[in-house]
Amino acid sequence: MDIVVCLKQVVDPELPARDFAIDPATQRQVREGRPLVISTYDENALEVALQLKDRIGGKVTVLTLGPAAASGDAIRLALAMGADEAVVVDDSEAPQRLGAAKARLLAAALRRLGRFDLVLCGCESADWVERVVGPLLAEALQAACVTFVSRIEQVDGTLLVRRLADEGFHLVEVRPPAVLAVTSDESNRPRLPKVKDIMTARRKPVHTWPVAEVAGQAGEEGPLEVEVRQVTLPERTARCEFLSGDPGEQAAALVQRLRELKLL
Amino acid sequence: MGGVCVIATALEGTLSRSSLELVGSARALQPLGLETAAALLGHGPGLAGAAAELHRHGVGVVYRCDHPLLTAGQSDAVLAALQPVLARAQPQVLLVAADTVGREVAPRLAARLRASLATECVQVEAAQDAIVARRQVYGGRALATLVLRARPAVLSVKPRALDVPDPAPVDGRVEDVEVSIDSEALPARVRQVLREQAEFGLEEAQVVIGGGRGLGGPEGFALLRELAHLMGGAVGASRPPTDAGWVPVSWQIGQTGKTIRPALYIAVGISGATQHIAGVSGSRTIVAINRDPEAPIFSVAHLGIVGDYREVVPALIARVKELRGT
Amino acid sequence: MAAVEAQTLITPTREVFWNVPPAGVVVMYLLAFAALGVFAYGLARHVRMWRRGRPAARLHPVGPRLAAVVRHVLAHGRLLVDRVAGVYHLAFFWGFVALFAGTTVVFIHQDLHLRIMQGPFYLYFQSATLDVMGVVATAGVTAALVARYLLRVPRLRRGVLADAVILWLFALILVSGFLVEGLRIAGTADPWAAWSPVGHGVARLVRAIGMSEAAVRLSHSWLWWVHFALAMVFIAYIPFSKLFHLVLAPLNTYLQPLQNPGGVSLIDFERSERFGASAFTDLTWKDLFDLDVCTECGRCTAVCPASTTGKPLSPMNVILDLRDEMTRSAGASRRLLAGSVIKPEALWACTTCLACMEACPVFIEHVPKIVELRRHLVMEQASIPETMADALRSLEVRGHPFRGAALSRTAWVEGVDVRRLAQGQGAEWLLWVGCAAALNERNHPPLRALLRALAAAGVEVGILGEEETCTGDPARRMGNEYLFQTMARQNIETLARYGVTKIVTLCPHCYNTFRHEYPQLGGRYEVWHHTQLLARLIDEGRIKPGGAVAATITFHDPCYLGRHNGEYEAPRRVLGAVATGTVEMAQCREHSFCCGAGGGLYWAEERVGQRVSHVRARQAADTGAQVVATACPFCLLMLEDAAAAVESPVRPMDVAELVGRALAEGS
Repeated sequence: MDIVVCLKQVVDPELPARDFAIDPATQRQVREGRPLVISTYDENALEVALQLKDRIGGKVTVLTLGPAAASGDAIRLALAMGADEAVVVDDSEAPQRLGAAKARLLAAALRRLGRFDLVLCGCESADWVERVVGPLLAEALQAACVTFVSRIEQVDGTLLVRRLADEGFHLVEVRPPAVLAVTSDESNRPRLPKVKDIMTARRKPVHTWPVAEVAGQAGEEGPLEVEVRQVTLPERTARCEFLSGDPGEQAAALVQRLRELKLL
Repeated sequence: MGGVCVIATALEGTLSRSSLELVGSARALQPLGLETAAALLGHGPGLAGAAAELHRHGVGVVYRCDHPLLTAGQSDAVLAALQPVLARAQPQVLLVAADTVGREVAPRLAARLRASLATECVQVEAAQDAIVARRQVYGGRALATLVLRARPAVLSVKPRALDVPDPAPVDGRVEDVEVSIDSEALPARVRQVLREQAEFGLEEAQVVIGGGRGLGGPEGFALLRELAHLMGGAVGASRPPTDAGWVPVSWQIGQTGKTIRPALYIAVGISGATQHIAGVSGSRTIVAINRDPEAPIFSVAHLGIVGDYREVVPALIARVKELRGT
Repeated sequence: MAAVEAQTLITPTREVFWNVPPAGVVVMYLLAFAALGVFAYGLARHVRMWRRGRPAARLHPVGPRLAAVVRHVLAHGRLLVDRVAGVYHLAFFWGFVALFAGTTVVFIHQDLHLRIMQGPFYLYFQSATLDVMGVVATAGVTAALVARYLLRVPRLRRGVLADAVILWLFALILVSGFLVEGLRIAGTADPWAAWSPVGHGVARLVRAIGMSEAAVRLSHSWLWWVHFALAMVFIAYIPFSKLFHLVLAPLNTYLQPLQNPGGVSLIDFERSERFGASAFTDLTWKDLFDLDVCTECGRCTAVCPASTTGKPLSPMNVILDLRDEMTRSAGASRRLLAGSVIKPEALWACTTCLACMEACPVFIEHVPKIVELRRHLVMEQASIPETMADALRSLEVRGHPFRGAALSRTAWVEGVDVRRLAQGQGAEWLLWVGCAAALNERNHPPLRALLRALAAAGVEVGILGEEETCTGDPARRMGNEYLFQTMARQNIETLARYGVTKIVTLCPHCYNTFRHEYPQLGGRYEVWHHTQLLARLIDEGRIKPGGAVAATITFHDPCYLGRHNGEYEAPRRVLGAVATGTVEMAQCREHSFCCGAGGGLYWAEERVGQRVSHVRARQAADTGAQVVATACPFCLLMLEDAAAAVESPVRPMDVAELVGRALAEGS
């Protein structure tokens, strides 16, 4: 089974709050000097791909869109975990692009890669959390699409996947080629690479494609650009807001505040 | 021609709650001067009542599509059914709930219609001729404001981000739309729906309620479980309850337990030792309930209640039940 | 009258083979050769196994090593830590040595024909001294039997036949020896009988019960053969039992690590086939030698903080399980050492505190073997408990192991006046802050107090700030040598860029890493722990604590300052200058009880038994002190946590904080 896993490098989501800042020029998070990691769910996607490869054989290629200079660590880790090959679409603008634009470029890269049975990506990226890349890739590639997949099994010629739903789980039968957006699960905790694999990863093929080349082959398909007017940090007081009254009043006040915060 | 179209679903037989929330978003777009219609997709006798609900909340035209394949999780069937519906309605703005099906349907719809797209919105409003949508980014640390000028526009709205609007009954009409869907041609098809309350791992849950030494014993956790169940979340613990054997060690949250980043973390009877805080500091909102006003947890919490959890939590449970209408 | 004349006329000696026919003597020599042959065969088998190990340099320096042998083998230094057992072991040790010397004298006299066994030497040494030492030995062996089987001392196991066999063998050899001596004295009407008091007494008893001459000769003959046979069995048994320690223990004492006892080897990743130990050939010859020295005494397990709190780790069992597998397979085992021979749960329960190695009377090195096995698990199997893996991942991504830390590395600097090397401000000393101190708020007061004290003493101190990353110690202890080397090289490069030569650390783990481990990679510095520097400054009068902290203080020796680096006095000198009263815990100095955080276990989930830190907190509370002082940021965090959990009134504080208090009192 030929699997391509789309990875994105993001600023460490567990960054201490004081290190989080928005660059007013780009209206995006400041990346300078902050540690970069593979977006959380992309790692789960990679783990699912590797487990499938362990079970039924095949090849796992990782594809990333981003500044080549910053992508090295992510690629090396992915190759050390067991991916066979890597493709980097060298794009210094990537951190500014929204999901729709990224999906277009990734789709072009995937077409250039050629044959694949499965494309896996994270269900959402740890920074922008749009949840669109999976479905948009499926449209661009005319493939089946399921999101929030936690487990994949191959049964006869099709795939049976487990999708996380509001009320529980769905078992969904999918015909390849398919794009699956993966979510985390106790069965797909990303594996630790063995040191031998870290060392041999250096010898695995890594192809770098300039984004201009890939963009040239990209279609016009997909959603239209939207404007990001601004990204703001909400007013956050350092002190705790205490809710007073008797337990009934406190509970009512809490529910009210949680609703205001869109948490209930 | 077209106006705002709410994609309402009744895939489980009755109108989904988020469908009504979308009607609220549609109202917010009134300044655009567009009519609001709804595409109602589902199967079964409940569809008539669903249409009536929509009329009661102010939706004039309901394009109803009834097909046995329009059931829980069938995104491809929904997409297939939407084709003739949207051909009929020709909307300029589509509002989709970002639920299990909606998050697959909205982007794909936007691609097919060459529309502008904003997903997971928590607020939608009109500004002159454009649609302004707001969504949470960077794990909830920031809010992005998007402006959609082009039409059509597809927006998916986070469930529970908005309230169900007050009723505003209109005399509506229902247009039934025939749709034929070849089940064999669906690339992805739901084979089984497992209705277990997904015991979310602590690390996946968006809402986590943690219990500490202040609970006094394992019985306190039963209350927390009830609340968590109501809120669709998971229950964890700080170190002392796991030490004491009140709960399994796998429930421990902290530097040597699990690290969690939920949207909401409620700490009950937890003093707030640094090792525990290390495991929850990524939570977007922290609520603390503790008898001791000096407890360190209040220095990291956003909302605090000084009180006995045995009184506060049952009151909370009652309030949430009221809210949910259960 | 005639006897007295006879005494003065004949040279004192005895007939060596009295009552043994010439044919018997021949048989004796044949049997002796056979026994020695078996001994040699057993020894050779083990030597072959040891030689399968990797090289290790342990023969030099000679002087200190010989001194250690004198101190611990001859004077029983370590053994006497368990006072009672040490004394009775001393008894039968010296008794055995003396009697062995006596046998050697007979050999020299009889077989080498050098007539030394006569005259005053025969009377004073061969007769009197040996009789007394025989009694001493017998008393010792009796005490050993009583302790193990009658008093049932918990550390000494029962139910293993070999233990009983060895003690009874020894006892019977001694008793039979006295009986043979007495019967000979009776049978030869020995004129010098009085010089052998025990033998003399036996002879008198023989006479008193009226044994005939013939009976005396017959029983002497039997008992002589019994005595001889038992002795030969003893000799042949040596390489096949824990008696091997008779030969190996003195050697192992010589071969001990003189410094850096918890140290591990540097792996050359480009050249090595294997990372860590999965087979016996991956261990050094010294490691394999260690396995055979074990006397199964159980002292290591008795002091291990993991064992005593119910974890699945027994240091003695680690050694014995490895030994048994090595013996069974002649060193060619196909079973994985880590995982199959030794269970991972045991390996992951070790805090690398070195209590086992400190207690071991024969200087076995348990901890480096455990780390070698961990290395295989982590680097070749990618198998490690989840939370420890998270810490390693955090090290790789963020440069520190404290996942979830809300502080940045320089958050504590706010409001503190200190030179920053990154801003071109040079200083004589680099203060290496360490992750545990920078990222955990509880450690900020000691850090600031230290800086204030150093400033008051006029010491120039600078910090690296954001360029400081973890020294890599947690990675090395958890077994990820690759990650350790990556981090170490990075730090060495940073330090070289700033030309750093003198480092003072807050944390003993950082101290240990700079002192013993960075030199392996080319980083050489003069390293001081903060208590050492404070002590020196107090001695020199550059810090003058004006007042004293009015509290009784007990000091918890951090494992990585104490056992790993031999520093017990500096913190005490500092406390002596700033405290009104100090009291020691029963387990202090080299017998200190670990706080539970070492070996990467700060990041492990403690799921079984009592928490190590809780046990230590109770020990501190038992002293009645108001404050438990420590010198390690990890110990401080663990003790604070534990004090809250066990509701102890004893306040944990760092030595630096107490100095700060004293300085404030005085001003």
